[in-house]
Amino acid sequence: MGLLSIIRKIKRKEKEMRILMVGLDNSGKTTIVLKINGEDTSVISPTLGFNIKTMTYDKYTLNIWDVGGQKTIRSYWRNYFEQTDGLVWVVDSSDLRRLDDCKFELDNLLKEERLSGASLLVFANKQDIQGALSPNEIAKVLNLDAMDKTRHWRIVGCSAYTGEGLLEGFDWLVQDIASRIYVLD
Amino acid sequence: MNEHTDDISTDETTQRKHAAMIDRLSNLHQARISTKTNSKDPTFESTQSFLTTFTNSKQSIESSLTQIQQIPNQDPNSDLERISNSISDLEKLVAENSYFLPPYEVRSSLKTISDLKQTLDSVTSKVKPRKKFSFKNKPTKKQEPEPKPKPESESEPEHKTSYTINDSPGFRGTENAILTKEFTGSEIREFVLSDLTNCEVKLKGRFRTLFINRVRNCKIYVGPVSGSILIEEAEGCLFVLASHQIRVHEAKLTDFYLQCRSRPIIERSCGVRFGPYRLCYDGIETDLKESNLYEDTGNWANVDDFQWLRAIQSPNWSILPESQRIDMVKI
Repeated sequence: MGLLSIIRKIKRKEKEMRILMVGLDNSGKTTIVLKINGEDTSVISPTLGFNIKTMTYDKYTLNIWDVGGQKTIRSYWRNYFEQTDGLVWVVDSSDLRRLDDCKFELDNLLKEERLSGASLLVFANKQDIQGALSPNEIAKVLNLDAMDKTRHWRIVGCSAYTGEGLLEGFDWLVQDIASRIYVLD
Repeated sequence: MNEHTDDISTDETTQRKHAAMIDRLSNLHQARISTKTNSKDPTFESTQSFLTTFTNSKQSIESSLTQIQQIPNQDPNSDLERISNSISDLEKLVAENSYFLPPYEVRSSLKTISDLKQTLDSVTSKVKPRKKFSFKNKPTKKQEPEPKPKPESESEPEHKTSYTINDSPGFRGTENAILTKEFTGSEIREFVLSDLTNCEVKLKGRFRTLFINRVRNCKIYVGPVSGSILIEEAEGCLFVLASHQIRVHEAKLTDFYLQCRSRPIIERSCGVRFGPYRLCYDGIETDLKESNLYEDTGNWANVDDFQWLRAIQSPNWSILPESQRIDMVKI
């Protein structure tokens, strides 16, 4: 409790937020992070391990942990759970065949006690692709309404390719975390 | 203070003062003792009396604990709080008397107190319904069916597989066939190849993303894909692909001829070989250029094996020897 409160205090001073990006491989996590940071997204290799991106957003400093989603490295996700303020779950809305996998992995993640306080943003990515499911349909497939009532969550349709929806999602996430941790000023 | 300096000389005064002081102190002591007995102050300086008091309170706490379990109360909170208070009183009693108690008594009393606390905890959890911690794994699952009947179910009453209705375009479940598709313009489309055996697939033109799964002994030729290609379960196949990202899962004995902006990856695969892109059709140059895939990155040889995170070459994949590579394929 002692250490935790010290860390909280330090974070409050620096207005830092720790955000964990997870989701199946090929869902576009790295592309989202680079796009929102205004970087080149044309050459992105599948993430082997993780990337950390620190960026200033409003008056907050976001530490975004973008963790690779390949099946063989999903078991390492749990190493990044500690101290997570916001969870971003990225869905490839055009990958209909693997939505079951997607639901399974998300359900598993939400059982994790260390993430129980984190705000959840679900990005229904690749909305620019014609056959992509809408955010509503994704929410239905993932059965998000059945989530624990204490969880703060929202689903936002986006395209990391065009950048559409990314700010809307992050705005919500940052505001939600801020209202929980820092009490908006 | 000045008395002190004055009276150094006079013994008599000193003695008088001293006697007065003693007197005063003893009065104080008397007073303290009397208030002590009046208000039942818990300092006894006698192990015996301490033990008696201790045992009495302990028994009364125990009896109220059993009582609260037997007679279900509508509002157990006040009772539980009262018990909890008496337990902490008891703890205080031991602390205040510990200076004269034998170590054994201190230890055994503390043990009794911690036992009482435990009993109280278990009684509390029995009597009071748990609130805060019920959000763990299991109860959440149970609640799932509950909120499902939502008002918005008017269009599709809880159609879990609603997403199979608008299936993606693609070739599925075919054997021994030549399958051709030409994309015109720059379609922002996904395309699916699944459950194909002994087929030859030709996809011309640019499109956005390609999903391939469960293909056996197929030859698959694909024009530039501006997004990503995901391949799962391929055996004995030949792929000629150009894409920004290529992921290969569970492939066996398959050759890939690639043009890739980033590093291709394999996972749970073995016996896969890689060579450079070898495809042509009318207008492929323009298509490649417009998809930003014209430039040869050489990445077809930079394969990451997610199950082989070591510096030495993975045994699961290799570079196709030049002598064994196919010639340019015209589709």
